[in-house]
Amino acid sequence: MTVTEAPRDVVEAPAGPAPSTPPTGLAAVVGSGDPRTVGKLFVGTSLLFLLMAGVVAVLVGFERVDLSGFEVVDSDVVRQLFTLQSTAAVFLGILPLLIGLATAVVPLQVGASTVAFPRASAAAYWTFLASGGVILAAYALDGGPFGNDGEAVALFVAAFIALLVALAVATVSVVTTVLTLRAPGMTLRRTPLFSWSMVVGGTVWLLTLPVLAAVMLLVYVDLRYGQQFLGGSDGVYDRIAWSFWQPTVYVFAVPALGIIADVVPVFARRRHHRHTTAMALIGLFGALAFGAWAQIGFSVDGQSDPTDWLYDGVWIAVGFLALVPVVGLLGLWAATLGRGRVRLGTPLILALFSGLLIGGGVAAGAVTVIEEANVLTTTWASGQELLMVLGTLVAAAAGLAFWAPKIYGKLLPDGLVRLGATLLTLGAGVAAVTYGIAGLYDQPRSIALDATAGVSEIDTVETLNLVAAVGLAVAVAGALAVAAALLAPKRGRAVADDPWEGHTLEWATTSPPPVGNFASLPGVTSEAPLYDARYAAASASASESAEASA
Amino acid sequence: MATTSADIEVFAGAPAAEPPRPRVLLVGAALASGAAAMLLLALVAVYTSMRADVIAGGERWLPEDANVQLSPGNMGMVTLLMSAVTVAWAVYSLRNDDRVHAYLAFGLSILLGIAYIPTVVYGWQQFGVGATSSTQALLIFTITGLHVAMAGVGLLFLAVMAFRALGGQLTGRAAEGAAAAALYWYVTVAVYGAVWYGITITK
Repeated sequence: MTVTEAPRDVVEAPAGPAPSTPPTGLAAVVGSGDPRTVGKLFVGTSLLFLLMAGVVAVLVGFERVDLSGFEVVDSDVVRQLFTLQSTAAVFLGILPLLIGLATAVVPLQVGASTVAFPRASAAAYWTFLASGGVILAAYALDGGPFGNDGEAVALFVAAFIALLVALAVATVSVVTTVLTLRAPGMTLRRTPLFSWSMVVGGTVWLLTLPVLAAVMLLVYVDLRYGQQFLGGSDGVYDRIAWSFWQPTVYVFAVPALGIIADVVPVFARRRHHRHTTAMALIGLFGALAFGAWAQIGFSVDGQSDPTDWLYDGVWIAVGFLALVPVVGLLGLWAATLGRGRVRLGTPLILALFSGLLIGGGVAAGAVTVIEEANVLTTTWASGQELLMVLGTLVAAAAGLAFWAPKIYGKLLPDGLVRLGATLLTLGAGVAAVTYGIAGLYDQPRSIALDATAGVSEIDTVETLNLVAAVGLAVAVAGALAVAAALLAPKRGRAVADDPWEGHTLEWATTSPPPVGNFASLPGVTSEAPLYDARYAAASASASESAEASA
Repeated sequence: MATTSADIEVFAGAPAAEPPRPRVLLVGAALASGAAAMLLLALVAVYTSMRADVIAGGERWLPEDANVQLSPGNMGMVTLLMSAVTVAWAVYSLRNDDRVHAYLAFGLSILLGIAYIPTVVYGWQQFGVGATSSTQALLIFTITGLHVAMAGVGLLFLAVMAFRALGGQLTGRAAEGAAAAALYWYVTVAVYGAVWYGITITK
């Protein structure tokens, strides 16, 4: 495969025959190791997978409207769709979306010419695409978790392992970029908060994804070699599901906090209040989000093993402690906005929506660890997962709107993005609240063959499920609007290099950036070098005019 | 050769050299090694937790006809420990521009790494039961097999760096690639320590 990438060192071309014409069209995309191209590919593909996951979630939601039977799809299919909605939303949607955004933006933020391993990032994208396609093909062949075709289920598991490896490789590239390729003067404490959140989140992903891959490897050999000690195809989802519970579900939201933290000060036209404290809080949230230990136990005979961590001290403590960094960050953002001169730009609105959803998700997680509430296995937990996943999606949309000039060379249409984000937030909120209330009526989280088992007030729950399904449909419409905004053509004049008056290095280059990203880098003496430069220039001009008038 | 004023004039307009890229391969290898270690350690954790549950229930963990011999496991551990020393020797020699010893140390490391694989295969042969005969056997074969794969990646990494050293691409001032390969190899050896203790010693 021909790979093109941004050169790290600018050297004079040697005399000799003229170089061959660089590839164009599809060849330029397929062979590209340019981080902006790879990042855009990750973002576009993951949004498609997210939309697919959203449609599946709506189908499952409407299936719950009548608990007495299966109306929309048959019972075999609905259980597989139930697993597809979460698996696709997180592993084919949210994670690659954040990785794509980071691959495109992080090198610019830290003043690097490219990512640390451009070829590895490109290879990770194509592996992600191929494994995502095989996962969907396996589902189509009746081979998702709970599937009846054993070969296809094994294919699903193998493709899922490949997907996890691809995501880990892309993460290594991004984290290494931040750790090693920062501009002169940019110490780790001066790192922009999105890049920092990728270091924190990426490190915890690299500790978590291999554990999931190891468990999937066991599932694969168990399926292939007939031991069935993990319960066959019916046991596959149990081995993935811990990724969607707290605390692991928080780990996917760590970069969302970084995006919000980068957007808020720019639109407050003020430094981030207590930048170092914000870094520590993001780090604490990431550390608390490591949850590979909180999964269903293993037993030789395939019987479900008691989960000794459940309602244990550590798990309860993590559930409550996770509130501390989130509340702390919300407080810092409120202080930043309160002391600044706020501009209500689209990225800020989206960031605030996202903070609201993620804060709600972590608060709902604190309730799940209360044993007396007994909501962990009910749709309360589904509502919490929705808040975390869609909160992160809205944060990613905020990031896309904010960094669109650098990634796409244009500003996204404000109206469409605001509409999309509002629908996403509204839909997510309605679905999460109604699922949460249905959970209080003991509606189980997973879809069983007898959906009414254990449910109190069936009519009320069915009504709540209808509202939740409509909420999910609204959220999908919102995601569609955000995706459409990315496809909107460029209008008017070329976008300015720094349309938001940004604080960090990515705004010191052109929109879109040239090959190599920067012609020259400003000196970095704080976490907001461009804010410093602008403030210093404003001070100088104010003192000059004062002198002139005197 | 002495620098003349004419030379200084020629280079006066040239841009300053960019600082060398710092430890990119080393940091990347550290992150990848950590992820690979988590993969293996998670499997060892599953093995030990299942074993503990069975023993707590008053039952025997390994089937009657299964036989985990100490010798192959111990030989594997000793071989890998020796290879860790020779890898450190290779990096040290390379950093000191002692190329002859660096080549010798790389060669020995790769030889010892390859020698580790037959110890595992011999352990499988002596195990007495097939991989699919029981859950315990399946776990043991999966864990040890995956570690062989991890060691294979490490050997490939070492071989590439050895060839780069032979080709003059790694020098005393630019031995980062060798250090990265060595780091991955140390993690491979350390992880085998957990596998060896969890499977061979505790049985």
